[in-house]
Amino acid sequence: MIKSKESKNLLVLEGVTKRFKDLLALDNVSFTLQEGDIFGYIGPNGAGKTTTIKIIVGLLRQGQGSVSIGGYPMPEKKDEVNKLLGYLPQQVSFQQWRTVNHALTTLGKLSGLKKNELETRIQEILSLLNLSEVRFKKIVELSGGTIQKVGLAQALLHHPKLLILDEPLGGLDPTSRYQVKEIVKDLSKNGTTIFFSSHILSDVQDVATTIGVLNQGHLMQIGTLDKLIAQFPRKNQIEIVLSKDSRKWTELQSMKQIQKIEEQAPNKILVHLQNNADVDEMIPQLTQKLITLGCQIRSIRPLSPNLDEVYLQYVKGGGSL
Amino acid sequence: MSFLLLFKDELLGFYKSKVMIFLWIGLPLLAVIFHLWAPNTGPQLPFTMVSALLVSSIGGTLASAMLAVTIINEKTSRVYDLFLIRPLKRWNIVLSKFFSVYICLVIASILALLLGMAIDTFSTGLPSGVVLNSSLQSLALGLSMIMISSAAGVLIGVGSPSVLVGVILVIYGGNQISVIPLLPSMLAVPNPAFITVLIGVAISCVLLGIAIFLFNRKQF
Repeated sequence: MIKSKESKNLLVLEGVTKRFKDLLALDNVSFTLQEGDIFGYIGPNGAGKTTTIKIIVGLLRQGQGSVSIGGYPMPEKKDEVNKLLGYLPQQVSFQQWRTVNHALTTLGKLSGLKKNELETRIQEILSLLNLSEVRFKKIVELSGGTIQKVGLAQALLHHPKLLILDEPLGGLDPTSRYQVKEIVKDLSKNGTTIFFSSHILSDVQDVATTIGVLNQGHLMQIGTLDKLIAQFPRKNQIEIVLSKDSRKWTELQSMKQIQKIEEQAPNKILVHLQNNADVDEMIPQLTQKLITLGCQIRSIRPLSPNLDEVYLQYVKGGGSL
Repeated sequence: MSFLLLFKDELLGFYKSKVMIFLWIGLPLLAVIFHLWAPNTGPQLPFTMVSALLVSSIGGTLASAMLAVTIINEKTSRVYDLFLIRPLKRWNIVLSKFFSVYICLVIASILALLLGMAIDTFSTGLPSGVVLNSSLQSLALGLSMIMISSAAGVLIGVGSPSVLVGVILVIYGGNQISVIPLLPSMLAVPNPAFITVLIGVAISCVLLGIAIFLFNRKQF
């Protein structure tokens, strides 16, 4: 997302360190999020993602470093911060005797919503998440995915400025996942900052404007997906999609600097270049050759590492901040 | 504001629970069965007293166990996360649980006392001054014991790492503490009902104070 000069820092972590006895859960983690950012926080199990989130929302105290939200330091100004926060825990749980309506009413009131405003807001949120039909059902009667969505509903009720979602898409079906991702994008357009952790890298790639990679308590890298990808050398591969399935492309084999050509689909090929080949120089040459051969090109692009590959590089120790 | 809201909520949750149904209906019924089985308890042990003592002893233990188990379960299932990230003081959660259960038990005790008085009136004529006086003393004792049991239940719930440890502590710890208000009656001090209530309130305040201190320091 392109930020105007007026964009404000909403969440600032500086040198946050947390230790559980002998285990260093977070080591000097620092980053800043601005209004409207969608921050995808990725890392393997036990990397410290949930610990970071719990420190931000005030459920855990940091050992060292500082956290401030909307200019308020945590945990000193917790009451002010809590008015700005919406939080969906990884394991969302309600008292089982409550109905969805009862849970949302209580949590909404605790967040400071007035009675008449709350009624309208609950209707809005439940409708947004397709939960209207479960409004008066007991929590205990709901499926895991539906409880997850009720958890999201309680996080959105009071129009938070900072929405923190810990593995929000884990238990959801594909339709709900798409729906939640669209909601996240819409909220971001309206200035809400979203911090979410996920193991599902494709989801992070779909919505995040900024990505942070955490491994063993260290923030390995933070930046846009493009910035993360740029840290790694481009692959020496070019993907070509032709508009018709023609075998004429096989003649590309004769070109210098081509190691091999892999047919991925009837009209889609992957050209593997030799190690010393320059991808940028090869693309015009390949295009020219294919036109000469009478092939109709639909697309031609160099292959870059995707988020999965970037993630693996960082987690295996291939990258550093 | 937050406290009243949580208190009303907890009251709603507890009064619908099976334990409360047992306390409100089952215990007075048990007392009636006891009366039918041993009707000649005599004027020194009126049925009013039997009924009140039954509710306070069994009810206190049940309430203590219920509070401890509820709090431990809600802690481990992370129910409190959604409350603690909202602008409310942590003591609101602790005290709302205590008062909601205590109020439910006060109602159960009064129900049992009224039932006892009704049965005494029906079987022996109008309750005499002695019976009324001993009934009030029983009520004071019962409510003090229940207050301590409930406060112990809250403390054990906040401090225990598991349901098993919690239940053991309730049975072997909470129960023992809750009999302290019996001392004034046994030592024949003047105005025993007042001293009993005073002891009950004092011990409960200490237990709840420790529970709030622990809950405030707890990292979730």
